[in-house]
Amino acid sequence: MTPDYAGLFSALRPEISLVLGALLVLGLDLTLYRRHSPGGRLQLALWVGSLALLTAGFQVWRAEPGTVFGGVLIIDQLAMASRLGVLGLTLLTFGITQGSPARRQPAEYVAIMLLAASGLLLMAAAQQLLLAFLALELASLSLYVLAGFDRTRPESAEAGLKYFLFGGMAAAFLLFGFSLVYGATGSVELTEIARQIAAQGSNPLLVVGLVMVLVAFGFKVAAAPFHLWAPDVYQGAPAPSAALIASASKLAGFTLFTRLLWPAFGAAAGSATWLNSGAGWFRAVAALAAVSLVLGNVAALAQTSLRRLLAYSAIAHAGALLLGVLAVGSAGPGPLFYYALTYGLATVGAFGVIAVMETAGRCERITDLAGLHRRSPLLAGCLAIFILSLAGIPPLAGFFGKLTVFSAALHAGGIRSPAGGLAVLAIALSAVALYYYLMVLKQALVAGPADGAPPIKVPRAATLALVTAAALIVWFGMNPSALLGLF
Amino acid sequence: MSPLQFCLIFSGVLFSVGLAGALARSNAILVLLGIELMLNAANLNFIAFWRYGPASAPATGVIFVIFSIAVTAAETAVGLALVIAIHRHQRSIRLQEATRLKG
Repeated sequence: MTPDYAGLFSALRPEISLVLGALLVLGLDLTLYRRHSPGGRLQLALWVGSLALLTAGFQVWRAEPGTVFGGVLIIDQLAMASRLGVLGLTLLTFGITQGSPARRQPAEYVAIMLLAASGLLLMAAAQQLLLAFLALELASLSLYVLAGFDRTRPESAEAGLKYFLFGGMAAAFLLFGFSLVYGATGSVELTEIARQIAAQGSNPLLVVGLVMVLVAFGFKVAAAPFHLWAPDVYQGAPAPSAALIASASKLAGFTLFTRLLWPAFGAAAGSATWLNSGAGWFRAVAALAAVSLVLGNVAALAQTSLRRLLAYSAIAHAGALLLGVLAVGSAGPGPLFYYALTYGLATVGAFGVIAVMETAGRCERITDLAGLHRRSPLLAGCLAIFILSLAGIPPLAGFFGKLTVFSAALHAGGIRSPAGGLAVLAIALSAVALYYYLMVLKQALVAGPADGAPPIKVPRAATLALVTAAALIVWFGMNPSALLGLF
Repeated sequence: MSPLQFCLIFSGVLFSVGLAGALARSNAILVLLGIELMLNAANLNFIAFWRYGPASAPATGVIFVIFSIAVTAAETAVGLALVIAIHRHQRSIRLQEATRLKG
């Protein structure tokens, strides 16, 4: 095979423009803008970064479908859609970065976000184990730094370290799992791995490798019982970092996870009825989904911190998303992608509200939201849309995401199959989830403000980002085929 | 015992030692060390499978290892930076004392 470097270059143009954007942000900040105020430097960094994201988005849009460089990258509908999704969510995160407290190193913050986004883009298109590992590590290393970025707050450093230690262990599991898969199949290309597995069937080496990969991804998407980092990181990290970790990273993670499980390990899923599949990964993923759903929803009930509540709700949503992964085999990636993207939009929005409120005062406990409808009707309205979408109230996108994922799972095997049972469990737990989501809204919309709580001024960029996210949630909820029709 | 089996057993033991260290140690640097051991066990696997495993594209395993060593180095740099960040705040790197975030 002669390497096709021109093809590789043209396929990687989105990542290249992101990296160039990151360098440009750093360069301008160090030279022309060195003497400006931190606010001005942040503005410039965000403008240049947004420009890089938009350029990358344009290039993703124009990319030609197909495999690149002998199958290392695949540009298909799923890759394209989730690349655009990642870029859009990162752009929204930039919007809410404006609202958070001015940082001492604005350019570095934006540059690292761009690097994280380029790692996530590669994750969405990787079709080979080496590239998947490198992309995952590029994204993860950037996210560790982002979580620990706020040097003035010890909580941020602690969140960064905890995220790093759990993430490092997960990376080791992933690499070990990949090495066993390589040993069992003699290849790192997903297509070749799929052919080998179909030919030689299951073998112990492969099973151990697969379990280790599942552990690593369970960590990456914060599925119980590998969720321990999530509440601490969501609580301690700066709000924009937490938004990126919760939304774009999850979307890209699930895309890569789906690509690994279905096209590559599809033959090892277990038999079609899933009832007597001892060795398939289907049961393992179903177990992860069940534990995440139960633990996330039940633990969220006890939370008093808004961020920790969002973290436990993220664990519960990871369970629902894993259900979507199970349904990919019969329904295609559409429902999973729809759920992941709309969940990401709602989470970015919720963290955006937190970021704006933290600029104005504090927003640690749920009761700090009290009287938000008086202090800022805009924030309260947006928060209501995000939280109701997370809870799955029609006509918002969260409802349709749940509907399409659960119905895909029920269609896949009927109500008596494990996937169907999980869907019923998830529907029941949605009722539990409604309780804690409404507790948040009760504070924001009904309770009166504390004495002397001033009105909150929302910066323009944050207004734009929050309104866009809310509008997209409503629009995708009204027109689900806009996303589902892509697949 | 064939060389491949020996390598796999050795890397399995190395991975377990690393995992035990990462889970049981309270010093952040030693946890980092445990993670490094786990990653190196995986690298050993790649080399062993490349050398003794089923025939495949030449040098895939070695190239994977070279990349993963580079990634590991970057990871250590980030890890040490975060350890320093937490040391600035709590004047120690014992993980038991990192208990600000809980609920």
